[in-house]
Amino acid sequence: MISRQSIIVAKWEFLRFFKWKQQLISYLLMMAVMAAVALWSFFTDESRKVYRIAVPAEFSISNTEQFQFQRPTIALEEQLAQLKDGESWHGVVTVSPATAAEPGVVLHTLAAKKWQQQLETELNNYFRQQYATELQLTPAQLTRLQQPLALEYVYLDEDFKGKDTPEKMIALGVLILLFIGLSTAFGQVLLSITGEKQQRVTEQLYAIVTPQQWMDGKVLGHSLSAMKAMVTSALVMLLVFIVVSVVVRDNGVNLSWVNWGVLAWLVPFALLGVLLSACFMGAIAASIDDPNTSGKGAVMMITWLPMLFTYLVIDSPTGTAMTILSWLPLTSFAAMPVKMAMVELPWWQPALSLLLLVAALWWMRRLAGRIFLRGMQMYGKEPGWGQIVGWALSNKAE
Amino acid sequence: MQLIVTAISKDYGPVAAVRQVSFQINSGDIFALLGPNGAGKSSIIRMLVGMTRPDSGSILVSHQDQHYDHVPRRLLGYLPEDRGLYPDKSIEKNLLYLAQLHGLSKQHALKEMAHWLDVFELTDRRQEDLKQLSKGNQQKVQLIAAVLHQPALVILDEPFSGLDPINQEKVVTFLKALKARGMTVILSAHQMAMVEKLADRMLLMAQGKAILSGTLADIQQQAGPQRQIHISCAGPVTAEQLRQWLPELDIELLTANRFVLRLSAEQSVSATLKRLVNELELTQVEMQSADLHQLYLMAMAEHQLREQA
Repeated sequence: MISRQSIIVAKWEFLRFFKWKQQLISYLLMMAVMAAVALWSFFTDESRKVYRIAVPAEFSISNTEQFQFQRPTIALEEQLAQLKDGESWHGVVTVSPATAAEPGVVLHTLAAKKWQQQLETELNNYFRQQYATELQLTPAQLTRLQQPLALEYVYLDEDFKGKDTPEKMIALGVLILLFIGLSTAFGQVLLSITGEKQQRVTEQLYAIVTPQQWMDGKVLGHSLSAMKAMVTSALVMLLVFIVVSVVVRDNGVNLSWVNWGVLAWLVPFALLGVLLSACFMGAIAASIDDPNTSGKGAVMMITWLPMLFTYLVIDSPTGTAMTILSWLPLTSFAAMPVKMAMVELPWWQPALSLLLLVAALWWMRRLAGRIFLRGMQMYGKEPGWGQIVGWALSNKAE
Repeated sequence: MQLIVTAISKDYGPVAAVRQVSFQINSGDIFALLGPNGAGKSSIIRMLVGMTRPDSGSILVSHQDQHYDHVPRRLLGYLPEDRGLYPDKSIEKNLLYLAQLHGLSKQHALKEMAHWLDVFELTDRRQEDLKQLSKGNQQKVQLIAAVLHQPALVILDEPFSGLDPINQEKVVTFLKALKARGMTVILSAHQMAMVEKLADRMLLMAQGKAILSGTLADIQQQAGPQRQIHISCAGPVTAEQLRQWLPELDIELLTANRFVLRLSAEQSVSATLKRLVNELELTQVEMQSADLHQLYLMAMAEHQLREQA
């Protein structure tokens, strides 16, 4: 099915964009940035500081680890002046004036800060306690009032695995990885095909390999690049998971939540999806004569839509939209794995969807080869959409 | 490999690129396609390569008792008019890639590459990226790429363009080496002096049509028994003066007091010389037949007159 020449082209294309030194440097840089962000948030963590808050003398609010409540005897104007100077307080709390629409408190601070949310919670708790005392509620009654409703979901559809299952997380991860892979392929396919046209290599190559062999090689090479990007990103994700589990949470690495059966289905869908998208990108890039003046490059972004559509209906895995997306060969590579992760499906459904995907891939690769040949025969004239559609519908090969 | 092209035509929309052109190329020949830009040479080459098909007429390619309607890829070495390789890759990587696509093993490709790099004096630069080379050297790499796999037929679209005279001579040597290896060569060119040295047969084209074809002798015959008299005069004479004395002749000033007079079949050499002797003191007289450059110019001028008529 894949000729020797296509494999040589694929290897050439893959290695053309495989700069392992640059990639290693970029990963090291990424890790350095992550470490810098972690250090920055550690040293600027507001929750570890102690804040002094001036409250009215009648407030019986107790100090916490984060807040020291003080009851100054000086006038409010003077308190606010001291707040401005940053000498005594981080905040000054006063009771709302009697003319206010609703009773409450006013917090005076220099600017909005994250710790103010914690203070708001403390003040809320204090006032609830005060109201409970006024209403003569017991602590148990108050606790009951504050407790949220325990709402349990019972799904009668036995095939639905649940809303926030580990499988859904894996499916979401696959969508992210597909997005990374297709973004990689997008840039490379466009650069490689239009670049080769501009460097005037195509006619020389035509005398050596058929347009189909050339396109197959391109698609395969850039799909390999996309898969390499996906695998390295998955490894980085796994590394982060291991670091968080072992270092941050002080737990061992536990992968028992991974559903390997679903994962085994995800891989062929992802691989075929990348190949199909690369074929589509190749077909569009082959119709572009000059990327600087052509508007067709943006059309290649259509390959991102299956992930977007799937994400939009991810919470209705049994709905009509998800069903259509999971059968349509142009979107099934993103939708079917997500559906499978969330709903128990009979084996023939993903198998048939996979078969349709293979058929679509076959048709798309033939179309890409045809567009490359016909585009080259037009000598610098870019084909219109009408012509491309005509070539898509005809079955004439070289 | 033998090629018989019979009455091929090709239109690109309203433009008739090739009109009823026929020619034959024998195995081991160097065949030249000549003509101004837009004459249809590249269109013919693209039909031979199989990139496009003729709208009418036929191409018959015969090799070892097999027949094809265009040159099969495995038998073809091609240097297109629109050419280029990968500028950010070394000479070696570029050539190795194309050779492997042609089916050569790495070892075989390296051996062939070493030979041709030596011929073009590029051996020391094989690891350099193509973008670091001059245009002429890049052209040499592309010529090597076209022949590394030892094809039966080599088609070179303007192999001399962009080369200085020394490198043009190197290409002539290269083409002769290909012929010595038994390869059939088709080339298109504007450098008549080079073609004259090389080509066994040629086809002169204009506006998609064949004007003249055959060997150099055939073309000289077809163009008419053109004769030239090269004269040198003792005193100062202008071309205008000569044209006043001999208005029926085509007269061209070569250097000071040195002219070339072109005579058609009907015009008498002795009568012309007698008239010149009466008017001038001649220091040198030499008879020559028209070279390819002159034949080309005359044929084009004649074609233009015919088209206008």
